[in-house]
Amino acid sequence: MRKFKALIYKDTLLLLRDWPGLAMMFLMPLFLVVLMAYLQDSTFNSINERKIPLLVLNQDRDSLGDAIVRGVCEAGIFKVDSLDEGQPLTAESLERAVAKGDYQIGIVIPANTTERIRSRIRQSVMQAFGGEADSLASSDSISIFVDPTTKNSFKSTILSSIREYAASLQTGFILREVVVEVNTIVPMPIGDISIPNDMVLLNERYARLDKARIIPNSVQHNVPAWGMFAVFLIVVSLGGNIINEREEGSFTRLLTMPCPSWLYLAAKGFVYLLVCLLQLLLMFLVGIYILPCLGLPALELGRSIPALVLMSFSASLAAIGYGIAIGKIATSNQQASIFGAISVVIMAAVGGIWIPVFVMPEVMQLVSKISPLNWGLSGFYDIFVRDGDWTSVLPECGVLLLFSFLCLAVALYYSRRKSIR
Amino acid sequence: MDGLTLSISEGEVFGLLGPNGAGKTTTIHILCGLVRPDSGEAKVCGYSVFREMSKIREMIGVVPQDFALYPSLTAIENLMVYGGVYGLPKRELKERIDSLLAIFDLTTNRNRRIEHYSGGMKRRVNLIAGLLHRPKVLFLDEPTVGIDVQSRHVIIENLKRFNQEGTTMVYTSHHLDEAEHFCSHIALVDEGHVICEGEPAALIAQEQTKNLEELFLKKTGKKVRD
Repeated sequence: MRKFKALIYKDTLLLLRDWPGLAMMFLMPLFLVVLMAYLQDSTFNSINERKIPLLVLNQDRDSLGDAIVRGVCEAGIFKVDSLDEGQPLTAESLERAVAKGDYQIGIVIPANTTERIRSRIRQSVMQAFGGEADSLASSDSISIFVDPTTKNSFKSTILSSIREYAASLQTGFILREVVVEVNTIVPMPIGDISIPNDMVLLNERYARLDKARIIPNSVQHNVPAWGMFAVFLIVVSLGGNIINEREEGSFTRLLTMPCPSWLYLAAKGFVYLLVCLLQLLLMFLVGIYILPCLGLPALELGRSIPALVLMSFSASLAAIGYGIAIGKIATSNQQASIFGAISVVIMAAVGGIWIPVFVMPEVMQLVSKISPLNWGLSGFYDIFVRDGDWTSVLPECGVLLLFSFLCLAVALYYSRRKSIR
Repeated sequence: MDGLTLSISEGEVFGLLGPNGAGKTTTIHILCGLVRPDSGEAKVCGYSVFREMSKIREMIGVVPQDFALYPSLTAIENLMVYGGVYGLPKRELKERIDSLLAIFDLTTNRNRRIEHYSGGMKRRVNLIAGLLHRPKVLFLDEPTVGIDVQSRHVIIENLKRFNQEGTTMVYTSHHLDEAEHFCSHIALVDEGHVICEGEPAALIAQEQTKNLEELFLKKTGKKVRD
């Protein structure tokens, strides 16, 4: 224990005296998480929760028109306006406003739409009871204007939603009108016919295997993403530290002392484990307390602290394993710094740290699986976004620990090649 | 190495001398467990370097040719680390460090970082790190290379003192005048094997040379070695 304490003392001092290394490990990721969360917030909102600006002109002012306006207002995904910059709206000004991009969707409900439908139903009912019917009145269509810059996929989604809603309104409206017309004809009045909306049940759930479909907000993405980046950035300091000791001869001296080399690595790993956990803690605190001051949502840590601890330890051990491997493989400090930093940046880019995986092309989403940063990020998504418990992060932890084990095996192989104990 | 055979008695200051590439450092590395020989046998304090290296490490001190110190740490911090790795209790270690710093005239600079030390001061701290645990055998690989006369004097005089207290020393150097006066026994090594061996004065007389340097040139030739 005395030997272990001495080695921890040494590694702590070496770390504390390395100001540029400390700044890189702590300040840079903190700066990046604040900056990126702030910059990406609007992008995430547009994907996630920003309401679609919709302009509606209700010239009908009767049951159907009012029901459509009420419906789009209650849908929760539209920001509904009915005035054009304070001026009374016309069909032409509505179209112009949508064409200019002020609104993504415009709906025009022509005058007497309700009355025309009523008249058609009345005639249909009379025909059904064998009466004479006038020729059916033609119905004016409800016009929907769409911003030309709107993506086709988005347009289709919106239009199908509106159609679905209009169909449901139309069914209800027609049934009510049929009852009214039938009651004027038959001697025994009938009650309202109501058809429940949930006759066909659709149980919507997020598929566990399709994790990429769950979209976090900017804070839920950036805090764990840059946390993972920070944790892996220790490889530059850790790798450099191992090489410095080798180049300065102090490692050789340690090899002549009664100290097994695993103890030397264990002490180093212990100190850097504390560094990684401290980095993650700071990132989480920034997410909880600092980012809300910038108008961003606060980070919610999920409901499972054991999952968070497990994930943090696994991510840290993966980074430490990688750092030790770099320290053992690289032949100079410069080589370790350059290779360490560049490899972490590449793993971060591939792993969805800068650009989230769910907006990447499908091929890249598959490629991202090779990055340990992606597994770490995915594990933190499980906790922050999916409210997962410790069992839900076991696959990610398993992969990260396997990565760490492989790195240590490589380090051991190179270590044996370079020095014989 | 090529069939090198040596026997070093307890309490000796044994000089392992030879030109560059003769095999001096390799011999020390084998005895310290840093290099494993392909064949043969080597023992330190009766323990085999092949099978009982952990016991050997408890008994030896090594003063490498490089400054095996942490430049960003102070002298005290470096020595606390190395003493701790030898497993010395904290209080005993502090007393030992204070005593050795005083002996090697470093007390006033104890809290300065090694990176700010002169070459001579670094050599002295490098030596102290190998003496902390009172080793039975001390390996000194060119302990006075590249330093001023004063530092050299302090180092050699104190090494003599530690030798008188019972520490066996294995020493390599290119300072042959220093070796002549410091070593009780020398072995001249070239191309991996021993050319001649014995007490310096006896060897000089036997070979009818003026000093160790003349003996060295006579035995190893004047051709420059890389």
